[in-house]
Amino acid sequence: MAHLLCFSRCRTTAVEELSPQRLRSTCHLIDHRLEARVWIEVPLPGLEIEAVGCRLERGLEEVAEQAEARLQKVRGVRVGPGLRKILPGLIGRRPPWDELAFMVEECCQGVILTLTRRELARAPLQPEDSREHFAEMVRKNIRLYNRCAAFAPGSSLVEGLEPPQADGSA
Amino acid sequence: MLAYLRSKRVGVTRDEEGRYLARGFLDDDIYSLTLEVAVSPEDATIAALEGHWLRYTTPDCPRAVSLLAEAVGLSLKDPDFVNRVHKVVGRRACRHFANLLLECCDCVLRAMAAAEGREAEFHPAPAAEPPPASAPAAGPVRAPASTGPAPWERELPPAPQGFYLDLHVHTAPASPCASSSLEEIVAEAKRIGLDGICLADHNHLWPAAAVAEMRRRYDFLILRGNEITTAQGDMLVFGLEQDIEGIVTLEELRHLVDDAGGFLIAAHPFRGFLVVGGDELGLAAEEAARRPLFSLVDALEVMNSKVTPNENRFAAQVAQVLGLPGTGGSDAHQAEEVGLFATRFPVRIDDERDLVAALRRGGYRAVAFRREKGLTG
Repeated sequence: MAHLLCFSRCRTTAVEELSPQRLRSTCHLIDHRLEARVWIEVPLPGLEIEAVGCRLERGLEEVAEQAEARLQKVRGVRVGPGLRKILPGLIGRRPPWDELAFMVEECCQGVILTLTRRELARAPLQPEDSREHFAEMVRKNIRLYNRCAAFAPGSSLVEGLEPPQADGSA
Repeated sequence: MLAYLRSKRVGVTRDEEGRYLARGFLDDDIYSLTLEVAVSPEDATIAALEGHWLRYTTPDCPRAVSLLAEAVGLSLKDPDFVNRVHKVVGRRACRHFANLLLECCDCVLRAMAAAEGREAEFHPAPAAEPPPASAPAAGPVRAPASTGPAPWERELPPAPQGFYLDLHVHTAPASPCASSSLEEIVAEAKRIGLDGICLADHNHLWPAAAVAEMRRRYDFLILRGNEITTAQGDMLVFGLEQDIEGIVTLEELRHLVDDAGGFLIAAHPFRGFLVVGGDELGLAAEEAARRPLFSLVDALEVMNSKVTPNENRFAAQVAQVLGLPGTGGSDAHQAEEVGLFATRFPVRIDDERDLVAALRRGGYRAVAFRREKGLTG
């Protein structure tokens, strides 16, 4: 029996450095139903979305005009905490707007991971050397504590660290 | 020149038992991982889940893999499914596995809809959902403080020893993210010697009568506030008798607060600004102070226990540049966090009208209450 795919999707997020002070993040979606591209531009260091746009190529043509208007609502939103709540709240929570909101979120994640990549480029390659590097990263940004399995109690990376603000020292 | 690239690929098939099998592959400059998800067609629950790392960052990232199984049993049709995945997989295991799992599950839902002839559900007519509210027309949005309604202007009795209020407290179940009840919060606040607390549950307005009754029952000052999510971030609002649903712009909220004669504080204004690489972007306080949102708020929260010390310090620097007052609040989500930070007022406050009057009058400051009182727990 041929195991044919009944649904398939590719999603790519690419972040381009337009200048040392400006990033453009583009999310391109192509699946059996849709093809669309959404992009944002953010300045550094402010990270507030200054420009946003889309090209809806297949499956969303009927809503193209509305989509453009809805996307403009995210101008001024800062790439940072709370995006999963803010973006659907501004763009829409139901199909097809939820997909557009998610594409903007993916663009924002791309910006965040671009900054993360820069930080990680300094981490030593060998596990025994990198352990202290990551432990120091959690000490410096205590909010990372317990944010994932690697930084949860029991991990060697958080040995000896107190939970955030337990002593009111923040 | 590309600074970062992420590719995700998901394919969905059906096995001999009719289950949907999604295989996902995520590959970017930092991580590479695969996921296989089996979904039961009868109830759309995750029947099996297996993930593998191909590349990762920290030596302890592999701990995430065994925790993925906690997502088994979740229903893709649960309205809260996305949040559950972020909580169960994203927080406990790894957010990149959570991201790929959500992508896989969305593809399964679309495959199911196609098999059942329900594809239109994903493509309703354009007018099916009204667009979110628009911002009011441009124009002056901030009324001078002196034009506020007269009832808020009042003399308040001095409090020479200081009057300590935790201006930012969450309770369960009003805030889904909180784990302590109001009763537990109040008991702890009384124990550590706070003079009162302000309820700032997320987009939740407590009924005045209910809070008055609790104030009597607990013999403790409980004030009503609200933490409202706007497109420009979270805002603490006092004196606004209105439920706000959904996401509003800060301009819209400013109008509402002005009309009510209330007070608006930017909550944890730099939360997340200085994490993982963000602190090296070189954002100066003078530059940060030019962010448009700061022209629309009355004060900045400069002490909050959910942000880093650097972010609190930066907020205080920006408040100074702006010449705006700074407030303190614990942002407590459980009883033991109440009073980590508070605001010390020079006057006594007995109700919400007093609070707004005191906030407008100034002369208060943010304090690390528990530390000042020598309390550690």
